[in-house]
Amino acid sequence: MESPKKKVKELSATAAAHGFDDFDHSNFYSGSSDDAFCMLDPMDEWWGTRAYGAGYYQFGLPMQTAPLPTVDIRETLGNEVLKNLVNFSSYNYLGLSYRPEVIEAAVEATRKYGLGASGSPVLSGTMELHEELAEKLAKFKRKETALLFSTGYSVNLGVISGLMRPGDTVITDQYSHASVVDGIILSKARVSFFRHNKIDDLEKKLKRATGKKLVVVEGVYSMDGDLPVLPEIVDLCKRYDARIMIDEAHSAFIFGENGRGVAEHFGLEDEIDIHMGTFSKSLGGIGGFVAGSFKLTNYLRAFARSRVFSCALPPGVTAGISKALDIAIDEPELRKRLWENVHFAQNKLREAGVDIGDSESQVIPVMIRDDKHIFSYAEQLIHEGVYLNPVRFPAVGKHRSRFRISISAGHTNEQLERGCDILINVMQRHGLCR
Amino acid sequence: MSLTKYEFSQTASAFFEIPTEMAMPLLPKPLQTLESHHGSSIFAVTAFDFTESMIGAYQEVVMSIIVPPLVRPSGEFPKSAFYPFVLATSTAESRVHALERWHLPHHTMDIAIDFSEKNGSLAVTVREGDAPIVDFTVTEHQWEDVNHLYQCNMKDDSGRYKVDIHMQGNFCEHEEERGSLTLHDHPMCAGLDPAEITDYPFRELWMKRGRQLFEKLETL
Repeated sequence: MESPKKKVKELSATAAAHGFDDFDHSNFYSGSSDDAFCMLDPMDEWWGTRAYGAGYYQFGLPMQTAPLPTVDIRETLGNEVLKNLVNFSSYNYLGLSYRPEVIEAAVEATRKYGLGASGSPVLSGTMELHEELAEKLAKFKRKETALLFSTGYSVNLGVISGLMRPGDTVITDQYSHASVVDGIILSKARVSFFRHNKIDDLEKKLKRATGKKLVVVEGVYSMDGDLPVLPEIVDLCKRYDARIMIDEAHSAFIFGENGRGVAEHFGLEDEIDIHMGTFSKSLGGIGGFVAGSFKLTNYLRAFARSRVFSCALPPGVTAGISKALDIAIDEPELRKRLWENVHFAQNKLREAGVDIGDSESQVIPVMIRDDKHIFSYAEQLIHEGVYLNPVRFPAVGKHRSRFRISISAGHTNEQLERGCDILINVMQRHGLCR
Repeated sequence: MSLTKYEFSQTASAFFEIPTEMAMPLLPKPLQTLESHHGSSIFAVTAFDFTESMIGAYQEVVMSIIVPPLVRPSGEFPKSAFYPFVLATSTAESRVHALERWHLPHHTMDIAIDFSEKNGSLAVTVREGDAPIVDFTVTEHQWEDVNHLYQCNMKDDSGRYKVDIHMQGNFCEHEEERGSLTLHDHPMCAGLDPAEITDYPFRELWMKRGRQLFEKLETL
């Protein structure tokens, strides 16, 4: 049988002849024709002759283990299993997805309640487990109530579209997550993006806003690992009578003295109107929540359509998250360990001259700024012992490609040392650091 | 394939976000804008320093809105498509040529473009006599030789047209947001509210020592 690698080499010549060399997904987003399938053939041709073999195969490689600090991965191009790779790719920031107590809680609840909730949370899908988790979360966040959603994406979708209407304005940072953007689209409100963390641009947008105003920012920006300039943003929102929402997907249970997030970190918890978080990162499960006043959640129970028309969280996952939340609260040493790991990795990379941007968190970008070669560097990393996903356009700007390291409290010093050394070696080989 | 060739020393192009409600009136039906974000379309300013062509050397500035490409079965797929809503050139001959041959909408006065390259940056200043029209800058990234295919859409009283354009030469592009834009109060900028258009390009493109090859004009 012809090897996939050889086939890819032959196809690449065809792709070059078609001018596909610098194409990416964005080229196939929109085309005018009478046929709704008009973009399928061009994209299929690009994918088959160029993209997959050029490196796109590296996205979604099947993992053969839990998202542990080291993992086994099947590399699909060569159909080869790569073992014991240092895992710098999972969101398992506190290492809770594989904690025995969490797994046990999930197994026990699954035995008791079965696989799914079998209903919308507003109809028959709510179980005692859901109520307990929501109450626990509200207490943890020091808010009147919390509302559970089945994904983090659906929280932003439901909250923004549930509150905002045509004629209103939602203003958000240009680096906000797709779920924020999609929530705005669904609301049909006017959208304004302000330049990342540029307070004067936010003010310009606030001045021109019409209708009800909502400003949405993130706790940790997921591609850069930096924080919002929250005190200035809160101040502006007050001056312009805008409500403010914070998406703490990557910062909840990590930032702040008690792990309540970036709002706690800045001492601004009471100034924020809507607190959003997810269960898929630090708590190692799936789902999300919004915490705030009773009036807010009561309204969203009725108008957050992404929640109303989705099945409630599975009981096993809910129980696992509940246990993970207990651990996150009871074991502050996990956060301490995470921050030690973060500082270790950041210092080691910075000392080697690796460009990690303005990261202030466990999300550490390794700036490559070369869309063409990043796949090849990723291929070298995975074969030399590090599992690290390449990030390139259109997920980030053109030639703002990078690797995005996710540090976990579960990483040992040896694993961090090994992972960083391999990364630095590959970077040095290509003149990307000292 | 009969090609019309224009050699250039410098070409700079910058993409800016413009509200879709401001971009749509600049397009003829049935063209639609291509949005970079929900509610934000793409306004492009491109300046050429042509050194050789069938109408001699001249300079040109093009203001466009990026649109979805027209897709045809088995047709070559372009890198992107655009609709130039106004152009201006430095000579009357080049203006007449582009109007007659390519149906491109022109500002009817001569303009002058200054390309000032310094420390990896190219500052472009477009003026009509003493009146400034537009100033923008682009900055460099990694250079490489390319051959890119674009689709240009036109419409005038005689109908709708499309032409495929190959851009060949030494090229770089990036989205580091280092450039700038100043739109002045000038008839070419009518319909554009500078307060609503980003004053920095989200994408910067720069080409040197290349050629622009126009394929045969197609009537749509």
